[in-house]
Amino acid sequence: MLRAPAVRVAVLAALTGVLCLPMTAAAQKRGGTLVVLVQPEPPTLASYISTSGPIGQVATKVYEGLLEYDFNLKPIPGLAESWKIGADGKTITFVLQKGVRFHDGKPFTSADVKFSVLDVLRKVHPRGAATFREVTEIETPDEHTVVFKLATPAPYMMMALSGYESPMLPKHLFEGTDVKASKYANSPIGTGPFKFVEWQRGQFMRFDRNPDYWRKGRPYLDRIVARFIADSATRTAAIEKGEAHMGGFAAIPWSDVKTLAKLPQFEATTKGYEMSSPIVQLDFNTRRPPFDNLKSRQAVAYAVNRKFVIDNVWFGWGKPATGPISSNFAPLGFYTNEVKSYNVPNGIEIANKLLDEAGLKRGADGVRAEIVHDLTPYGEEWQRYGEYVQQALAEIGIKATLRYEDVPTWLKRLYTDYDFQLSSNWIQGLADPVIGVHRLYHGKQIRPGTVFVNETGWSSPKADELMDQATVEVNPKKRAALYKEFQKIVVDGSPLVWVHELQFVTVYNKQFKDLIVSPLGLYASFDRAYSDK
Amino acid sequence: MPGFWRRLLGNRSAIIGLVILAVVVVVAASAPVLFPGSPFRRVDRPFQPPFGAHLFGTDVLGRNVAAGIAHGARTSLMIGILATTVAVLVGTVIGAAAGYYGGRLDDLLMRTTEFFQTIPTFLFAIILVAILAPSIRSIVIAIAVVSWPAVARLVRGEFLALRHREFVHACICLGMSDRRVIFRHVLPNCLSPIIVTGSLTVATAILIESALSFLGLGDPNVMSWGFMIGAGRTFLRTAWWLCTIPGMAILLTVLAINLLGEGLNDTLNPRLRNS
Repeated sequence: MLRAPAVRVAVLAALTGVLCLPMTAAAQKRGGTLVVLVQPEPPTLASYISTSGPIGQVATKVYEGLLEYDFNLKPIPGLAESWKIGADGKTITFVLQKGVRFHDGKPFTSADVKFSVLDVLRKVHPRGAATFREVTEIETPDEHTVVFKLATPAPYMMMALSGYESPMLPKHLFEGTDVKASKYANSPIGTGPFKFVEWQRGQFMRFDRNPDYWRKGRPYLDRIVARFIADSATRTAAIEKGEAHMGGFAAIPWSDVKTLAKLPQFEATTKGYEMSSPIVQLDFNTRRPPFDNLKSRQAVAYAVNRKFVIDNVWFGWGKPATGPISSNFAPLGFYTNEVKSYNVPNGIEIANKLLDEAGLKRGADGVRAEIVHDLTPYGEEWQRYGEYVQQALAEIGIKATLRYEDVPTWLKRLYTDYDFQLSSNWIQGLADPVIGVHRLYHGKQIRPGTVFVNETGWSSPKADELMDQATVEVNPKKRAALYKEFQKIVVDGSPLVWVHELQFVTVYNKQFKDLIVSPLGLYASFDRAYSDK
Repeated sequence: MPGFWRRLLGNRSAIIGLVILAVVVVVAASAPVLFPGSPFRRVDRPFQPPFGAHLFGTDVLGRNVAAGIAHGARTSLMIGILATTVAVLVGTVIGAAAGYYGGRLDDLLMRTTEFFQTIPTFLFAIILVAILAPSIRSIVIAIAVVSWPAVARLVRGEFLALRHREFVHACICLGMSDRRVIFRHVLPNCLSPIIVTGSLTVATAILIESALSFLGLGDPNVMSWGFMIGAGRTFLRTAWWLCTIPGMAILLTVLAINLLGEGLNDTLNPRLRNS
């Protein structure tokens, strides 16, 4: 009696399996070459040393991580087939997949995991020290079991084990050598579905199918070629002509995406960026007038017309941001829009009133204050964005002079010298707020000389406390509650203006299927991608 | 001087150049009256085509293209004239000293000049602007730095030729100071080639400024034609007027200056004067 439903389910499942198998096998064809436009050309293939964006688009085809993630940002099996987190959150046991081999034929074992985390990622990866800071020891009771011992619970660590964030490296090739100067930096040997073949600088990188890949039958593509074309118009033309099949992360300018998306053979999607979650901002220096005053900061926040920026600078790709945490974190419950809103129709009016209250009266020429606004030196959209901000500030009587410098000078000005008043910026929320968000608001993250941390100089003891609690809170509901309160406090304090959640768009040729299958998007391994031609 | 004007106005290319240039100057001078306020101000919905509500339409952020053209004319002319003035002054002083005194000083100055000439002009200008941070001042400096060597070589050549002429020897025998000989007697005699080169340098300076702005190295607070082209380039296929109109403005201005320069050359060159 009790067993009957289970049996029925099993039979059904088997039947469905039998019925579906030939169909899926028929749909996923073997063969084909995928040409991806990667912009700019990566400086290196050593994804364990540098997190520079384009590296992730190529190195992830070779190196894999312990985990992959689904669109709900839940971990799913990668090189680890299963895992168990101890009740106290301080012990995490991973069981590794069997039969995984590196591209040189040597087996992938628990020793490689231990080496990668403790000897490479924690030492040389830019975010590795933060990700694995609570790891006290890694035990390897057998070849396929890895046990992470933590000092305090670290829920965010489970979000940072993808092949992009924490690649697993071959111990036998790196051990005993200087990891930072390894000869395998630019001829990577990993476990991934594609093997690195060659890199013609300034032109392309080639990756060929790994026939011994541990997921039997995959990958479906024969080859992936990453092409580097410096001129944006030429990139668009290459996609249009079918010479290249895919481009993401602004490889295709936002202004061209709409044109391409109208053509029947192309698909444009904003999926696959759920673990980067960039927010376009205006950062105040809260140490200096006029933005040492909360009211003048809030006035600027009110003055920015989010819709105009999204529609005219980013051509409709984006949505108004409400606070420090991107709405991409909604599936985890971390996001809330129940905060003070600066995106209101009568923003200019409120802004003028706030500035009056702040004691910044208009002079005879209508100017209340003169400031310098630093542009983000990342290209055209960013210049337009700066020009818009200048005009928006003019409406509330703040006369802004634009300053455009090269990237190193700008970074030094913002993050070392704190010699600025207001700067455009954009920061990624990454896989977990602990890694991507805390760095901008925590008092301990005011670290002169370190880039992309708290340069506004704003902090609040209460917000710090909430972040500290959320860092070690293993209960997702409690963690979510902490973040909701955190967002309220930070939005009230207005250390920066959250303008909009930047949406990158991936344009690809519909001939290819299953390209974007996870929140990692272009940072995934493409083992399921196939060509339907 | 009346003879000079008569000859100049008798030259067809000079007249065409002068007329176009006069229009540009009038537009530039009246920009604050015709289009008051900042040319970066939003006036309408973005991408309004030309010859509608706005003479030349609006751009990606809804800015008036005609206002940009008028204010951009000021920038182009100002930079062209300022940079050329600096380049001609520096080039003349160095060329005159080298040509007049000769010897070691000549060697030193000319090797220095050649050092500057070996660096590709435009790349050099880009590097200078990048180092100095983009602003009107750094652009003027960059254009002057890459433009003076040509003037210096020219002036030196003229001075070398005039230095041993009898009237110069006579001046020296009369006990005139070097300064007086140089400025009162030699320099006036090589003024015409300097004027011709100078006028062409203005055209080059305008082109360099446009190219720098096109590459995003212009002063972000100042409207310029090159900036308009650079910002409109992305929309060449959807909004042709954003690049075409400022492009025409540059073409006409540079052409006018070149025509005028040629006319000046014909007028001032004694060998062509009688033909």
